Amino acid sequence: MGNPAMKVYTEADQLSYPISERAPLVLGGNDFHGVTEVVTGLVERKPNWKWWAALAASLAMLSVYGISVAWLVWQGTGVWGLNNPVFWGWAIVNFVFWVGIGHAGTLISAVLFLFRQKWRTGINRAAEAMTLFAVACALSFPTIHVGRIWLLYYAAPLPNQMAAWPNFRSPLVWDFFAVSIYGTVSLLFWYTGLIPDLATVRDRARTKYRRMIYGFFALGWRGSNRHWQNYEVAYGILAGLATPLVLSVHSIVSFDFATSQVPGWHTTIFPPYFVAGAIFSGFGMVLTLLVPSRKWFGLEDVVTIRHLDNMAKIILLTGSIVGYAYGMEFFIAWYSGNPYEQFAFVNRAFGPYAWAYWIMLGCNVITPQVFWFKWCRTTPWFLFIISIFVNIGMWFERFVIVVTTLAQDFMVSAWDYYSPTIVDWGCFIGSFGLFCTLYTLFVRFVPQVAMAEVKSVMKVADPHHPAWEHAESVAAPATDEGASVAPPAAPDGGETAPDVPPSEEGAE
Amino acid sequence: MGHHVKLPTVEELQLPADHPWRNVPKIGMTLGLVCFAVAWFAGGDHHQFLFAYLAAFLFTLGLALGSLFFTLFQHAASAGWSVVVRRTAENLMAPLPVFILLFLPIFFGRHELYHHWMDLEHAKHDPILVGKAPFLNEGFWMIRAAVYLSVWTVLSWWFRSNSVAQDTEGGEAITRKLQVTSYPGVIAFGLTITFAGIDWAMSLDPHWYSTMWGVYYFANSIVSAFALLGLTLLLLRERGVLEGVVTKEHYHDIGKFVFAFTVFWAYIGFSQYFLIWYANIPEETMFYSHRGGSWSNLGAALMVGHFAIPFLFLMGRSIKRYAPTLKAACIWVIVFCFLDIYYVVMPTHYKYGFSFGLTELLCLVGMVSIYAAVATRFMASAALVPHGDPRLKESLAFTNF
Repeated sequence: MGNPAMKVYTEADQLSYPISERAPLVLGGNDFHGVTEVVTGLVERKPNWKWWAALAASLAMLSVYGISVAWLVWQGTGVWGLNNPVFWGWAIVNFVFWVGIGHAGTLISAVLFLFRQKWRTGINRAAEAMTLFAVACALSFPTIHVGRIWLLYYAAPLPNQMAAWPNFRSPLVWDFFAVSIYGTVSLLFWYTGLIPDLATVRDRARTKYRRMIYGFFALGWRGSNRHWQNYEVAYGILAGLATPLVLSVHSIVSFDFATSQVPGWHTTIFPPYFVAGAIFSGFGMVLTLLVPSRKWFGLEDVVTIRHLDNMAKIILLTGSIVGYAYGMEFFIAWYSGNPYEQFAFVNRAFGPYAWAYWIMLGCNVITPQVFWFKWCRTTPWFLFIISIFVNIGMWFERFVIVVTTLAQDFMVSAWDYYSPTIVDWGCFIGSFGLFCTLYTLFVRFVPQVAMAEVKSVMKVADPHHPAWEHAESVAAPATDEGASVAPPAAPDGGETAPDVPPSEEGAE
Repeated sequence: MGHHVKLPTVEELQLPADHPWRNVPKIGMTLGLVCFAVAWFAGGDHHQFLFAYLAAFLFTLGLALGSLFFTLFQHAASAGWSVVVRRTAENLMAPLPVFILLFLPIFFGRHELYHHWMDLEHAKHDPILVGKAPFLNEGFWMIRAAVYLSVWTVLSWWFRSNSVAQDTEGGEAITRKLQVTSYPGVIAFGLTITFAGIDWAMSLDPHWYSTMWGVYYFANSIVSAFALLGLTLLLLRERGVLEGVVTKEHYHDIGKFVFAFTVFWAYIGFSQYFLIWYANIPEETMFYSHRGGSWSNLGAALMVGHFAIPFLFLMGRSIKRYAPTLKAACIWVIVFCFLDIYYVVMPTHYKYGFSFGLTELLCLVGMVSIYAAVATRFMASAALVPHGDPRLKESLAFTNF
């Protein structure tokens, strides 16, 4: 934001940077203060009519969910299109779909953190928020699927006078633990990263209530060295704990199917295949959200074209891994010599649900191959379209797995065709209402980008950056190891320093 | 950040002229051939020799393939930290063309190793094998083996020779070229290692199948290759080679990878075992029921030795940054990676219980000796660090925070 000491980087610079150096992650000549302005400005300004319109539309969809669920609870799960043999219908499809989406956030904040992928800082806040909201949507489906939701607590191992314990040999109980632990750790992780940014919003607050509320959630953060040190340790530990969770949750979801003996469900590659698919769908949803929001909220300098490029590459990689799994399933089904296995897969591709299978294959494996081309990875509107394909494809993957497998099971006399009812549609669309409502509130009240982390990966965060040279007379920036993580301490009141007013880092 | 880096001279990056490893090519090659000859002529049972040879082959191949994967992935991900260790991985993958020769005993012994399905007389009475015949037949098996071995030859040659060319040429063009070619390289690698695993190990028991199999062989290979990379660099360091170039920061990262892929191997192995155990379908459980008796002791040892012990041991930061502890971990992990392959291959021969005799030992020592001979030959032939790489400074200055 117009600091004359800062070099102005453009998208073209970023995409043609020399290999010997790392391309800048923040464009447009922003200094630390510029990043703060870009991000917190969104939380501080009064929302415009578009935000209200988005909130109204989301709430309308959410009310569809409310009505559908109320009717479902009142009437029972018979109002869904479930039949014998398709006892698991859209509810489980939606559950797996949403859990899968919830994988990108933790992957970005934990796994990419461990791999020192600095670009993750631009997108991790929004992706983690999306994760939490997706997990919330996901958890709602098994909840309503039990029918008598007032008995849901049976799934928890609570001491009770009936001595009725959940069956620990059932993958559905493992799900209960896996998803709730995942949700908890994701929330902690998200919140830990938020603390410094909430303190920034607090310090810039102009009204009393604003200062109190953000101050409450900032947990007394003052930006001291000790705070940063504790923060880094906590972040590292949470990243270490969350990394196995990225793998475990969807592995356990895959166990729901793969531990059975049902052909088409029982196959050993399911756990890693589900994990790859989950990451794939999660990044699809991150793109769906970030491509428009970086434009609407003016975040293009922070969520740059390079971030989109990298996400497209991950989509290409995970989409191809999913393709490998589809191929391997098909090949081994044939190789096994087991006629039931063979039937299950041939039936998927050429049976009554062939349309769903080919939508799945087209969207998940074939469409992402366009990302071999740089233009496709760096053109936002095109990325957005492909991300929609990814979302559709991954929903259909779960539909193919759940419904087509059950509809033609062992007994030919039991075969049936599953069709959703209006309540199925209401629950599905309504869950997007829940998701969109939460996300709309998020963009209004929480800094959408992890400012403190973005600042730490900017070129100017290097203590040797030229912008600091003429500031030396004021105060030497910190040069210890921590400087590569925490932003160098702002020279207090240094009028020539490219940093922010002292209030932002918190006055002692 | 590249400001405090002291660039090493090109001489400092060579394997010293008086380094004992300069003798390994001759000694290793001789030792290898002697071991094979003794195992073949003195062992007596050629069937046993072939199985022992196959186990040693698949293990050593895994070391080379894992190193190839490491190289491919560093290019694909534009990694900076790993430049100073990448040449060592390239040297460890460089023997891949030699596996064409090492494959010959398997090629000539194919009817003994895979007689269940390769002998048509035998297979035509088995309806399952008749169904698999379009894939499991002698001709196609040979064609596929030729494809795998040529793909690996081309990949290992392409990525090492270009990297060596960069030592003199410098510049960014080669880095860009290798990055672009690494993507199709990864795909070719993934498909070939999968089907090689199926062709050479899974088809030993042609009725059995698992969709996870390719990933399982891949996981074991990667763990062993990371451990070997760490071990090789630590052994070089003992004589002061690459001192100050490959630092404990790089060892730390390699240790993290050994740790991470140890967990990955366990995740894959557990998922495969667990899903088969849970569903309890006879045509799948037979893989594990054939590994009953004293073989199940080895199975249990794998759980502890291939996962629990390295997992707990390598968790600490200081363990990975201290050369003696990391070295011990690397050796341990490599031993268990071999035992994993042994557990896969040998029960087909020793049907009634675990056994490890002189033939197995000689085959293993022979295979590893030849591998080491070729790898050290490549080490001596070019600098030990790709010093023309544009990211060299970044790698030299790299620190874990």
